[in-house]
Amino acid sequence: MHVSSWIFFGVIVLVSWGIVGMLQKLSTNYLSAESALVWLVVGFLLMEPFLYPGRALFSYSARSLAWALGGGFLNALGAWALLAAMKSGGKASIVAPLTALYPLVVVLAAPLVLHESITRVQGAGVFFALAAVVLLSA
Amino acid sequence: MRVILKEKWFWYSILCVLCWGGWALLSKLGSTEIPAEGMQFLFTIGTLPVVLVLLVMRRFHCGESRKGIFLATLMGVLAGVGGLALFAAYRTQGNTSVITAVTALYPMITVGLAILFLRERLNRVQFVGLGCAAIAIVILSS
Repeated sequence: MHVSSWIFFGVIVLVSWGIVGMLQKLSTNYLSAESALVWLVVGFLLMEPFLYPGRALFSYSARSLAWALGGGFLNALGAWALLAAMKSGGKASIVAPLTALYPLVVVLAAPLVLHESITRVQGAGVFFALAAVVLLSA
Repeated sequence: MRVILKEKWFWYSILCVLCWGGWALLSKLGSTEIPAEGMQFLFTIGTLPVVLVLLVMRRFHCGESRKGIFLATLMGVLAGVGGLALFAAYRTQGNTSVITAVTALYPMITVGLAILFLRERLNRVQFVGLGCAAIAIVILSS
């Protein structure tokens, strides 16, 4: 069976974020969700010296820099919105599966923004993945 | 339905979905030029304005428990490792929708770890979810 080249990186994402999911449960036994979010970013900051790209940083186009910075901003804003949803009376059993549907935004926007489309088989795979995420978060 | 549309939590949830969907799209766009390490470096800087506002709102009180601080910071390091791998995946020629859908399956690992280490039990709905995840991975990884 041919395996796509991105799968190796995908497995690393699944395992590391899978552990993050468990640590989220454990850390919020001791901290408020907001505090946990702040310390999570402290964890990000600990990695910064190892990731600093040096002078190459100034060679990237302004547009790409904006995409990267904007991505971080949107991710943090999304995390905050999730906390706000929980605090505003949203049940975790509803809010978690609902917010897990974010890949749907990518599927819908990718043809317009990235000029990418998916095959019928990939569409079926994405459907099962979204169903899985919603069911697992319930 | 009308009742839900009046609920604040619903609109916050939609905002979350839109923000995270936007994050994935911008990550793909940025990754075409910037390598994974640079993307994660810049991503972290991008999160700072939101975290600073959060800190000010909490009047810089975020240290309720040392154990909690350790776990949450470790969570950040691991989330960063995952972020690096995600940016690297986006840099390949793989389809963005497929990569985003597969990597969003991480609750599958969380559920497995919670069963192993936290002695939680899998409910029927989650069991069906694991089945769907397995089917999705087989379809999308080939």
